Amino acid sequence: MKKVLVFLSMLLVVVSMAAKVELVVWTHEDPNRTPLEEGYIKEFEKMYPNVEIKRVTYPSDKIKEVLLTAFAARKGPDIFNIEIQDEYPYIVNGRVAPVDLSVLGLKNYNDLKNLYLEGSLDAVTYEGKIYGLPLELTNWCIFINKKYFREVGLDPEKDYPKTWEDMVRVSEKLVIRDGQIIKRRGFDFRYPYYLTFFVPMVEQLGGALFSADGKTAIINDNAWLKVLDFMKQWGPNGKNLGSPTYTAARKEFNKDNNTVAMCLSGLYQIDRIKAENPAFYNSKEWMVVPFPVFQNAVKDVRCNFYGHYYMVNAESSKEKQEWAWRFINFMLSHPQEYLTKVGLIQPRKDLIESDVFKNYPYANVFLEDMKKAHIVPLHPQGPQIEQLIREAVESVMLTKTTSQDALKTLKKKANDLLKEEQ
Amino acid sequence: MEKKKAIWGFIFTIPAIVFFMIFDFYPVINAFWMSFFKKDLLSLKPPKFIGFKNYTYLFTSEAFWNSVKATAIFTLGTFIPMVLVSLVLAALIMTRKRFQKFLQMAYYSPAVLSSVVAAMIWLLMFDPRGLANQFLNFLFSTQGIDYHWLSNENMLRLATIIVYFWKYVGYFTVIFVSGMASIPRSIHEAAIVDGASGWQDFLHITLPLLKPTTLLVSVMSMIQCLKTFSTQYLFVQGGAPRGPIDVITLNIYNTAIRDHQIGRASAMSVILFFVIMFFTYLQFKVSRSEEVTY
Amino acid sequence: MKKKIVSVIIDVIIWVFLLGFAAIVLVPLVFMFTASFMPSNEIMKMPYPWIPSEFRWQNYWQAIKGNDGKFLFLRSIWNSFLVASITTVGTVFLCSLTGFGLAKYKFKGRNFVFFMILGTLMIPFEAIMIPLYLIVTGMGMQDTYAGMIIPLLMSPFGVFMMRQYLLTFPDEMLDAARIDGASEFGIYWRIVLPNSVPAIATLSILTFRSQWDNLLWPLLIVQSPEKKTIPLFITIFVTEKYTNEGAMMAAAAIASIPMIILFLTLTKYFLAGSEVFAARKD
Repeated sequence: MKKVLVFLSMLLVVVSMAAKVELVVWTHEDPNRTPLEEGYIKEFEKMYPNVEIKRVTYPSDKIKEVLLTAFAARKGPDIFNIEIQDEYPYIVNGRVAPVDLSVLGLKNYNDLKNLYLEGSLDAVTYEGKIYGLPLELTNWCIFINKKYFREVGLDPEKDYPKTWEDMVRVSEKLVIRDGQIIKRRGFDFRYPYYLTFFVPMVEQLGGALFSADGKTAIINDNAWLKVLDFMKQWGPNGKNLGSPTYTAARKEFNKDNNTVAMCLSGLYQIDRIKAENPAFYNSKEWMVVPFPVFQNAVKDVRCNFYGHYYMVNAESSKEKQEWAWRFINFMLSHPQEYLTKVGLIQPRKDLIESDVFKNYPYANVFLEDMKKAHIVPLHPQGPQIEQLIREAVESVMLTKTTSQDALKTLKKKANDLLKEEQ
Repeated sequence: MEKKKAIWGFIFTIPAIVFFMIFDFYPVINAFWMSFFKKDLLSLKPPKFIGFKNYTYLFTSEAFWNSVKATAIFTLGTFIPMVLVSLVLAALIMTRKRFQKFLQMAYYSPAVLSSVVAAMIWLLMFDPRGLANQFLNFLFSTQGIDYHWLSNENMLRLATIIVYFWKYVGYFTVIFVSGMASIPRSIHEAAIVDGASGWQDFLHITLPLLKPTTLLVSVMSMIQCLKTFSTQYLFVQGGAPRGPIDVITLNIYNTAIRDHQIGRASAMSVILFFVIMFFTYLQFKVSRSEEVTY
Repeated sequence: MKKKIVSVIIDVIIWVFLLGFAAIVLVPLVFMFTASFMPSNEIMKMPYPWIPSEFRWQNYWQAIKGNDGKFLFLRSIWNSFLVASITTVGTVFLCSLTGFGLAKYKFKGRNFVFFMILGTLMIPFEAIMIPLYLIVTGMGMQDTYAGMIIPLLMSPFGVFMMRQYLLTFPDEMLDAARIDGASEFGIYWRIVLPNSVPAIATLSILTFRSQWDNLLWPLLIVQSPEKKTIPLFITIFVTEKYTNEGAMMAAAAIASIPMIILFLTLTKYFLAGSEVFAARKD
């Protein structure tokens, strides 16, 4: 009898080992998120002992390269997340699998869409199917260090910049220089993410990146020229308020060391301040205000939002895909923890309507801005076009190139790029 | 007996041949083959044969010629000063009776840092508030001038050249010192007895005898410069504009990884391959005709 | 008399030049070590203070601890050592064996083999990265030490160098060994290897250093945090969140210290090894 039992239990072990499903998840390095997610993974593995999750992190600026190489070699992970602009080609090329509704216990895509804030699944909807679920949606607002405002005689609550023209005025008061070298910047942009913050500025003045049919790029020269002029005025050849060659403003902001008074960042910045500089965090000498709009704007558009969506490799086995969506669904069932512990917004209706969200500091500022914003432009050539915009802005800010010339080059190159693909 | 011996020579090279077949030749042939196709890295569709279109595209593409220019400027701007300066340093070190080893060690020391670390240090030093501006302001006794190390086109090129030069000049100095040390003392002594000054001795004895070393060093450093990648890559990731330092390898990398155009990237690699091949061939030609005997 | 004064002046100028140049070369290293003890606002102070106002050992602690507090930096130093050492030993063995075969035996196709190997010297790694990745993952070597090491075991440059060096190896020694009844491999093992120390030292140092430095290949191949090498650890460490330049420099310093120690203890080989390049007769 005993022998039989031993045999049976051994058999059970062997069988369960044979049936063990290993899911590989690739995600970007985010020290805040890691302990939280490792805890959830343990929970999930306890619930389903036959599943083993291997979570692999890569530096955020390297993960897309590694992922692309792996997918090119058809050795991609079962689950991954990168920024939506970079995920888009994976959808178009059929490399990721649509959401498995039955695993989520839903009947159709509309039920799924209803769980989320309106429009937040548009980016992953392609030919009638939905290919990803949002790990985070992020838009950027202005973070302010109140101390420096008061130091130069400004009242942060009242004098914070509402328009880009304000931004210049306020920054001129805040800036401290040694000759040409800036020791303290009032504000600085978030170079080189031009599709995120720069394109909406153009749109505020009535311009656009693409025409409605998507066949032409750089619409409304006038709007583009004005924003390029604005950047020129901002840079070292104009009023010398900031430039891409300084350390990123959002990094200096946390240190509270008199190097920058304002920066552009997402809600997660709050948790980074808390982790890196608790004294500054607790002093409450910081605040968040909306993304500014030009004085004579024709359209009230705010900073574009971008997101990370969980996706599932279309070449994983059917069984793995099913488990993958089950796992993703489980991971995404803790939106409140993601908000309160790591400052990430998962755009689920149940979260947005919860008291936790409403009481979370500045969550509302971000939400209100997000309602007036749209997702970063998704286009297979997006990264290349961003590079072209970068070249245009850098040439007007850092060299003697006129905005007209820079725009001419940008327009020609961007449209050549679009034509090439047709 | 001779034949049996010859077989052993072949046997000794077998492991190398196997390794090269798998890890070098196959990828190279693959790259060569791919250069005639249009293929999106992510696409599962079979690649489309387009003949020489990738090449004709490149030869009419502004970005490609910009890369050629960036690579040429970097290569010439780096390896010529590097060879000259290391030669001068080596010659001067040879005239010293003390601290020879210390000086060589000091010059060599940057070579032990990894490029990731070197880029981290230099990016901080090239910040507008960093040491690079402070140094130039001190040198020209100016106050608060920003020399735009990471933004001005030429300064940025200079910055990458400085980093590379800094890292490898000591290495080549040490090679030259060894080369000079291996010239028999009697030759120098004979020249001095004949009334040659130190300068004449250097010009007429050391330099000609050092020719093979110089050639080897310059060709090696030139090939290394043509293949430069990490300095430019890390600078661009650190926020510098890409245009002025978009060397060919960086362009290959971006064309493949960012634009997913593996065919076009392969075509660029093939061109780079032939360019480097050409210079190596040239070196062999020149060094054959210039054999030196003491 | 006048001549003597002139020569003294020249002598002084040369000293100033040589020592001044050494000082400039060492500035970035000094900057790294001093900044590694500073709080970040001191690092960006103008003018740079050079001497930290207080020695912030926390920077080092933060770097060693890593973002996730798992002390993986120490592990990554060990990994770098392991990978670089094994690669070096393998490369030296394979390259010297091949170089010996090419230099001292006349077999059919010898020149062909030599030039093919030389040809691969001209391939930029970025160009073959993707097919190489395909092969290595196809062999199941993804996320293994083997995957990091094996594809880099053969260095065309190493073969080239060993061949050049061994061309001048005295044939009499080989023949003497043959008369004593040594096998061909025995000759390589007992005669050639022990008598090629300068070339081997150079090749070892070059290989070790370039593996220590390698970023792109391990980035593609390694996934497990506990298999990551130093350059990977550092790129993760300086990622977005922690922006403390002092800790960044501390990480840079820690990463450099093993190589610096190696350099200081093996200076003789670092410097003398380059004799191999001071090529004379071909």
